[in-house]
Amino acid sequence: MLHVCNLTKTIRSKTILCDINFSISSGQVGIFLGRSGVGKSTLLRVLSQLESHEEGSIFLNDEPLTYKSLGTTTGVVFQQFNLFEHLNVLHNITLALIHHKKLPSRQAEQIAKTLLERYGLQDKAQDPVHLLSGGQKQRLAIARTLALDPKIICLDEPTSALDPHLTSQIARFIEELAAEGRIVLLTTHDTYLVKRLEAQLFLLEAGSLIEEASQKKFTEDPSKYPKLQYFLDHPT
Amino acid sequence: MIIDFSLIWDSLPALLHGVTVTLRITAFAAFLGISLGTLFGIALTTNYRTLHYLITGYVTLFRGTPMLVQILFVYYVLPQFGIMISPFWAAGLAIGLNSCAYVSQIVKSGIQAVPRGQIEAAKTLGLTSCQTLIYIVLPQAFRIVMPVIGNEVITLIKDSSLASIIGVVELSKEASIIRSTTYDAFSILLAISLIYLIMTGLVSILIKKIEKRYQPYASRM
Repeated sequence: MLHVCNLTKTIRSKTILCDINFSISSGQVGIFLGRSGVGKSTLLRVLSQLESHEEGSIFLNDEPLTYKSLGTTTGVVFQQFNLFEHLNVLHNITLALIHHKKLPSRQAEQIAKTLLERYGLQDKAQDPVHLLSGGQKQRLAIARTLALDPKIICLDEPTSALDPHLTSQIARFIEELAAEGRIVLLTTHDTYLVKRLEAQLFLLEAGSLIEEASQKKFTEDPSKYPKLQYFLDHPT
Repeated sequence: MIIDFSLIWDSLPALLHGVTVTLRITAFAAFLGISLGTLFGIALTTNYRTLHYLITGYVTLFRGTPMLVQILFVYYVLPQFGIMISPFWAAGLAIGLNSCAYVSQIVKSGIQAVPRGQIEAAKTLGLTSCQTLIYIVLPQAFRIVMPVIGNEVITLIKDSSLASIIGVVELSKEASIIRSTTYDAFSILLAISLIYLIMTGLVSILIKKIEKRYQPYASRM
């Protein structure tokens, strides 16, 4: 279970995140919604420990998350993927296994190959990253993050750099990650992805969490969540 | 004006000896300049202010004074402090230290040109700052600055001729000796110009090959 209590972040005396509180169980998907600039990506960066916060606490199963949690406890799939262009597909995955987990190269390659197979990239192992399509890059970014087997996976706008027809595929990957018992947190403007996933929805406005609902409860009676309903009807 | 081919032919052994000295000075200066310059370049991208001030002072000094003066300084002033140094090493050291100032700025700009997202991605994969530098930042930074480093090495070949001022018999000094005994400046200067051109041309080809090797993965396929 991930507990976020009174989380506040300021940058140069400007409050970016204000008193954020929520909980989410293992195996659940959390989607942060809101207009551009409300602090969704910052929240994701703080939760993944990429950025620090001034006040509040983040606990995973009663253990506080620290910057040391990066990689093994929290993994991030970036909006622009941030794959290592000077390495091939296989080495993008083995890098952390060899240098962070200190696994022997052969074992690291074995794990990498299994992940590439899972994401249909087994034929691309020796290929340069920049020859991959957007969908393939996204899959590689997920595979690279999974190499360290993190308990929380944060995806920043996972469908924004992809063709719309790939959204279903990403939704399926997200469901699989949650089914493995991981907490999957994501930001998105993609209402199709929101509707497609069985998730906990969090609506942000000016750095504050203003409404929260499970997808199921929201679908049953949207009128109970007027702000979420308005946002999903007018996402841009 | 007539080119005296027999003079050039007869002078070849001396000129080739000069070439080896020139190449040795260049190799030493390049090694010193690139290795120390890389360390300084890395230091300039860290948050250690004292290091910044020291390196900036060093760069200002070496970029703001003529290399000739630096060579003379190393050769004539260091012995006054008890550091005896041969003309060859004095020239190599001065030229290398001068190159280091330029390389530090080149490497610094290369590191700064690596997208921030690459460093963040390494961080999310649990790599330490040192591992990120070695496996992510430097390989990409060198790929970016390789052409400029190549130009720096070519400049070093030409700058090595300044070593003649303290008596190092490198290529230009050999030519100078031959010219003073034969009084044929044209033929011999033409010959060493060609030799310099061949050397810089070969280094250009070598640098191009290295550039190609370190280009993004795909361009090699």
